[in-house]
Amino acid sequence: MPSALTFELIARCSTTKARAAILTLPHGPVQLPLFMPVATQASLKGLTPQQLEESGCRLCLNNTYHLGLKPGQEVLEKVGGAHKLQGWKHNILTDSGGFQMVSLLKLANITEEGVRFLSPHDGSPMLLTPEHSIALQNTIGSDIIMQLDDVLVTTSPDTKRMREAMERSVRWLDRCIAAHANPAKQNLFCIIQGGLDLEMRTECCKEMVARNTPGIAIGGLSGGEAKADYCRVVNTCTNLLPELKPRYVMGIGYPEDLVVSVALGADMFDCVWPTRTARFGNAITKYGVLNLRHASYANDFAPVEEGCGCVCCRTGDGGLGVTRAFVHHVAAKETVGAHLLTMHNVWYQLALMKSVRQAIIEDRFPAFLRKFFSDQHGGDKSKYPDWAVEALNTVGVDLMED
Amino acid sequence: MFEVLSHVDPNAVGPRLGRLSITGRREFETPNFFALTSRGVIPHLTPDVIAAHTRVGGVHIALEDFIERAVTGTPPIMNCPGSSPLHTFTALPKALPTLLAPRRTPAVSAPNGNSNTAISIFTSTGFQVLSNKSYLSYIEKLQPDIAIALADVPYGTLPGTKRIAKMGDRTQEWLSQLLNEKRKEQVVFAPVLPIDFLDQSEYLNSIADDLADEVSGLAFYDSNLLPDIPATTAITDLPRLSLDEPSSPRQILRQISLGMDILTIPFVGFATDAGIALTFRFPRPLSTHAATSKGVGALQLGVDMWPAVHSTSVDPLDTSCTCYTCTSHHRAYVQHLLSAKEMLGWVLLQIHNHHILSEFFSSIRKSIKDGSFEADCEEFAKVYESEMPEKSGQGPRVRGYHFKSEGPGEPKKNKAAWGNLGSDDQEVDSDLVPDETADESDAKGFAGRMEA
Repeated sequence: MPSALTFELIARCSTTKARAAILTLPHGPVQLPLFMPVATQASLKGLTPQQLEESGCRLCLNNTYHLGLKPGQEVLEKVGGAHKLQGWKHNILTDSGGFQMVSLLKLANITEEGVRFLSPHDGSPMLLTPEHSIALQNTIGSDIIMQLDDVLVTTSPDTKRMREAMERSVRWLDRCIAAHANPAKQNLFCIIQGGLDLEMRTECCKEMVARNTPGIAIGGLSGGEAKADYCRVVNTCTNLLPELKPRYVMGIGYPEDLVVSVALGADMFDCVWPTRTARFGNAITKYGVLNLRHASYANDFAPVEEGCGCVCCRTGDGGLGVTRAFVHHVAAKETVGAHLLTMHNVWYQLALMKSVRQAIIEDRFPAFLRKFFSDQHGGDKSKYPDWAVEALNTVGVDLMED
Repeated sequence: MFEVLSHVDPNAVGPRLGRLSITGRREFETPNFFALTSRGVIPHLTPDVIAAHTRVGGVHIALEDFIERAVTGTPPIMNCPGSSPLHTFTALPKALPTLLAPRRTPAVSAPNGNSNTAISIFTSTGFQVLSNKSYLSYIEKLQPDIAIALADVPYGTLPGTKRIAKMGDRTQEWLSQLLNEKRKEQVVFAPVLPIDFLDQSEYLNSIADDLADEVSGLAFYDSNLLPDIPATTAITDLPRLSLDEPSSPRQILRQISLGMDILTIPFVGFATDAGIALTFRFPRPLSTHAATSKGVGALQLGVDMWPAVHSTSVDPLDTSCTCYTCTSHHRAYVQHLLSAKEMLGWVLLQIHNHHILSEFFSSIRKSIKDGSFEADCEEFAKVYESEMPEKSGQGPRVRGYHFKSEGPGEPKKNKAAWGNLGSDDQEVDSDLVPDETADESDAKGFAGRMEA
């Protein structure tokens, strides 16, 4: 099928499966590996699009489900799409809306036609089909659009249902491809399903790769499965995916998950956690997450993170020099407290991926991983999570080595 | 520090131009306004946005926003390093002059009155007592660019004759203690109480006769007192700050016509929270088209951005406005953000509304310079409505320190954002479900209607 992107592989880690690439989308190039902040309802939680741009973000997410409800397809059409709506000059990725359907609405059930649900407003039956989802995403005009998939929690014990979901996702991909009106302007990504069953994942990869979409997502994860299982699925899938296409693992955002997933060969990630946790007063730092609402920070006049380059932490040259004490003072009391930490956390995630990329290009990614885990756990190897140690072992990195 | 640039006649009541310069801060021309802060922030605006997208003269900071920990220890701001702790602690742009007042504007009335040595304040953890002695030590440490002396102001209640008699005496006492103990460089504004001149004449005369050299300005809790102030040269040359709470642009104009220099304007924040984009200009709209097409007196001071009529409008909030919001975004986006209760909606409105106010004051200064202020005020009164438009939508969440509970049985200030999911008897109440019927969702293309 046609594609509206180019994927240029820049470097490969000589030990792990990590890669660095340039993905050029309709609204400009982005550097992979990449974290995408989530601007659910066409705004990144209080940040102006200008502030988001200044953080270095060039690809953010909007949620089709939310935009379909507000402002709705008709408005989006009249305004001219999501870029125009939010004044965002760079790239946007939208999900299909299916995940929110299932996770937010009671009484949603999935049939071959689509997602059936009862309108929460008046209780009448409604149906979201692959065609609806694609039509909405066509109107939104996002640079990357996702197929509607049959999402099932990976931990579901029902293998029969899991197989049905996987096979249906493939059939729905065909319907999405057929319904896609702008393949020359918007890139449709397929979503690999199959739960934690590696054989089913393998089968799904083969089917979907054959459909030759511009990019490929690994879906259904980040739903409470064991991290070791998660890593096995990602590892299995990336082995089967074509090298010259972007690989997007949906719903991943914890720093440890990101670096391990990159080592397992994934390129793109999104998660609401960094921005959501900011609103709870949590700052993500190299040395772990700080809950700045804790009284111990009331008199802490250090920056949120020492040496951080974000607008909040920086001093001089337009930097604000925001202290932990001030964030403590306003957190959960003034929305500005949330805005400040949102800026910091988004910056952290983007900077983390930038440094990952640099390490891959300079072929010192294994050393980067060792330093990263050491920083996260204060140098105490006994605290390293087993799943990460194990997963990195499978790609040739021994975190326990000195 | 303050220079009166123009005054028709020092003995007559009238608008005037001035310039306030404070070492190390951006100087500004008056009449102008200070933005109100809450816990050290202009609500909704991060300091980088303030620096990039606003031109406020300075900031009004309330001490009560910082000292909730005073009952158990030292408030953190008192431990803040640096020579300008207010700026360092709040990360506000260094260019902005800071004005420290004991209480917020508007202030929540306290159940307990003030005493001879202290006032009641409302912190984020409840009511407290702030003695003049500790207020002096806060000023000593925080070194605000301007400090307003403690005043015995009765919020919420009308003072009786006995209380009135005490107000002037207490305030006079507190002011002279501050003047005696302050650092030499500390700039102090003397409060003018919201009671009749005669009831505080002793206090005000003492300022005029003895303290005019020591105080650097007057802070009016009621701007109507301005014409009564003794017109000695020393007093006339002092900058005048209003802590009065104008509810409309007309009241701003009235204060300026009395000779007010610096104002604080709570209605900007109210408008923002209500989802109203201010659109008034002085003395008339920038485009004559808008003025003539609607007829005299019909123009609104602002536009409510909640209604769905804006949902597809790619026009700026106000035509020919040059603020960040109007140059980068449009009504449809702001309407969407309000309706989706996204915080950015209020951010964009706050940027715009502060810009409109800065423009308003700039036009006022030009009008005074041109000698047309009186005529312009008349025209403004003819062209625009007198009060702000009614609000229709919900504001952002109200916080505990913004209001006082009026007792049991009070309705909730904030609507619950989330309901329980899963149980069938529970109605799903969240922003994440459609507001509209299945037919409308179908028409919107969100999902298809099925036969029941």
